[in-house]
Amino acid sequence: MSIDKELREELRQVADSMECPPDLYGRARRSYQHYVNEKRGRSPMKKRVLACIAAVAILIPSAVFASSFLADDIFGPSEKLEQHGVSQEEYQEIEGMLQAAKGKLTEDEFKEYMELTKQLVQLKLKMTDKNGVRYEEKLTKEEQQQWAQLTSKLAPYFEKITGTAKP
Amino acid sequence: MNDKELLPWLEKATLGDESAFQLVYEATHQDVYRTVAFLVYNKQDIEDIVNEVYMRMWRSFDKYDPNRPFRFWLHGITIRLVQDWKRKAWRRIRLFERNRQMACEQFDLTDKAVLQSEMQHELFSLVRQLSYKLRVVVILRYFHDYALEEIADILQIPVGTVKSRHHLALKELRKRYETTGGDAYVH
Repeated sequence: MSIDKELREELRQVADSMECPPDLYGRARRSYQHYVNEKRGRSPMKKRVLACIAAVAILIPSAVFASSFLADDIFGPSEKLEQHGVSQEEYQEIEGMLQAAKGKLTEDEFKEYMELTKQLVQLKLKMTDKNGVRYEEKLTKEEQQQWAQLTSKLAPYFEKITGTAKP
Repeated sequence: MNDKELLPWLEKATLGDESAFQLVYEATHQDVYRTVAFLVYNKQDIEDIVNEVYMRMWRSFDKYDPNRPFRFWLHGITIRLVQDWKRKAWRRIRLFERNRQMACEQFDLTDKAVLQSEMQHELFSLVRQLSYKLRVVVILRYFHDYALEEIADILQIPVGTVKSRHHLALKELRKRYETTGGDAYVH
């Protein structure tokens, strides 16, 4: 047999005996999922910011008043909030976030941040019933657009607040 | 599954379809693994490179020219990553640790099946002793059946260089093969 043929034959035989380890699949799959997430532009940081926005959106329909609180500015009279199912604890949490924002942002930024949050809350209250359940269909089309705009405007502020809190 | 059937799946996989990923992996992983394992001997390194081949496959699919065979492109990626690996610093950083391991568990580092094959296939064991530059030509020529021009393209070196390496590799193999009489284990 010529050396060419023999080489071909042997390499084929040896290749057949080499099995790709099955656990490599899990690894390739994890890398693949990482690639997909990256491609969709959902880096861990972005996820965190989105989670933060979501958290505020969930917490907002819940607060009880004390007049010195920053949150009073945003929520208006307490009776209104109680209609949306609110606990004292949740209210305190939001207050904490606002205080953090005041510390981290400049005066002007904070002003705008408060203004935007106020608008967000108005919409939020509109679409939330007394048990704190959200109904997006309660908003008109314009309001839904406004909602999307507000969240995207607020995103950089959240990034600043959470970013400097956790360097 | 042939190349043409695979392409739509590959495209789906790059867009994030996980079942398409599975299919592409199933259809290609043995080929990729074996190619790498012929060229690199450390088990951990082989796995790192195979994983990297798939990453590269998703990322550079937009550069793939559909007029060329898919396997050719895949082998191009594989060979480039093997060569990157040979250069890379991360390998040298781990070298110290590896040497320490090698001292005590040498047999775990090389695939046991490969070792066994070496015992049974004398010519293959000679191929494994060739230098990387000669070996890669032998693998592409006799395992993947590429023409010398295609090998030049994959390795990004002149055809003349491929020819001389091919010639040298065969000469080397013949010489050693003949000195052992074609069957080293009779002695």
